[in-house]
Amino acid sequence: MQKFSSMRYSICHAIIMYIVMTVAIYLIFIDVPPDKMQGIVQKIFYFHVSSALTMFFAFFVVCVASIMYLWKNSDWWDAVALSAAEIGVGFCTLVLITGPIWARPIWGTWWSWDPTLTLTLVLWLIYVAYLMLRLEAYDPKRARFAAILGIVGFVDVPLIRWSVEKWRTLHPKPVLMQEGGTTGLTPAMLLTFLVCLVAFLLLFFYLLRERVSIAQSRHTLTVLRHKIDEILVG
Amino acid sequence: MCKDSNSFIVLMSSSKIFLQQVLALLAKDLKTEWRTREIFTSMFVFAVLVVVVFNFAIGADTELIRQVVSGVVWVALLFATVLGLQRAAQMETDEDSLQGVLLALHDRSALFVAKMLAQMLYLLMVVICTLPLCGIWFRIDFIARIGELCLTFALGMLGLSIIGTLFAMIALHTRACEVMLPILFLPISIPLIIAAVYATGQLIDGKSLKDISDYLILMGVFDAVFFSLTLIIFDSVVED
Repeated sequence: MQKFSSMRYSICHAIIMYIVMTVAIYLIFIDVPPDKMQGIVQKIFYFHVSSALTMFFAFFVVCVASIMYLWKNSDWWDAVALSAAEIGVGFCTLVLITGPIWARPIWGTWWSWDPTLTLTLVLWLIYVAYLMLRLEAYDPKRARFAAILGIVGFVDVPLIRWSVEKWRTLHPKPVLMQEGGTTGLTPAMLLTFLVCLVAFLLLFFYLLRERVSIAQSRHTLTVLRHKIDEILVG
Repeated sequence: MCKDSNSFIVLMSSSKIFLQQVLALLAKDLKTEWRTREIFTSMFVFAVLVVVVFNFAIGADTELIRQVVSGVVWVALLFATVLGLQRAAQMETDEDSLQGVLLALHDRSALFVAKMLAQMLYLLMVVICTLPLCGIWFRIDFIARIGELCLTFALGMLGLSIIGTLFAMIALHTRACEVMLPILFLPISIPLIIAAVYATGQLIDGKSLKDISDYLILMGVFDAVFFSLTLIIFDSVVED
């Protein structure tokens, strides 16, 4: 019964996500006019910034789940941390791909070592290390080590930001909130962006749910296998 | 009142035990190192090799060398740290001596503090031996700014030792320890290295302590944050 309701919830989530995504794609490609200065290239902004914010949120979830794992020692929190880290690395890769596609026509270069780009790249390296640690560590300590790296990595974020900030900034100042509370976006653009952000967050939560349930099934399978082994040996 | 003074005495005696255990562990590590000189030798030779190889990569342009020398020195130290930690970790796993140490400890963070101090001392020795060589090879006068450089290097080496020791203890329990240590350690240490390289570079350029205060504060915050964080979570690293 519980399985059935969880599945129904999952299908509902998927349908809502599908609708919001379709609306977002409609708004981006058909409804919203292109930017006066940057032209059609600006449209990648909706995907780029949405992925970036979702990525930060995912890494925040990793940190919270890691703290909760060390505190409560429950496998569920470990599964959440692992799943959020995998999805976060996926979104981080998207950010690192869409960024240069935008930068090439606007800045005239694929890459520059500006603070925001550098921070994203370092974050990608830290969380790839996190995933590698999960593969390499011996079983009983794997989750605890990963949790420690999940916390240390997130604590490092403001420090990385602070240190790379000392460099020349090429990245456009955040257009969402500018001085005096005004935004650099027209109302149509802001609406499109918000719909797109909601679509990405829905996607994140959908993937998280599915990935956690896979991790839990795998855990159950391992426990059952151990039991069978014990019975056979005993 | 009586309860307060009692808890104060308990706190004093437990911190005294903590200090004794840190010193005992440190003495043990240094004694082993004094007999073999294994860790220092590998770190020093490796650091010198990195500097020499960079020298060929940069070429003979004196002005260019002046600009990049701080980066070369810190990269050499960073790699030497990884190497030293690997050697130290290997010594602990041989004969399972780490288990014995853990069984004897009252508070397991003592192990972290002792290992970190030992690593810091090895790094200090490497810096003392490598910097004069760099000064001679690249014709840079480090002596003129010795006070400011000491402060910068102390903060940088402390940060490297804290983060390095934490990740060395984690990498010990992975299949490919030699690969995992640098993969975990290098990205986390990036803010520290940026600050250390720029602070050292500006000191060589003749800037004052005030000009580099931002970098020094950054390194100080990095050290403080990760030292306290590691003290809190270290128990879960070595827990059985």
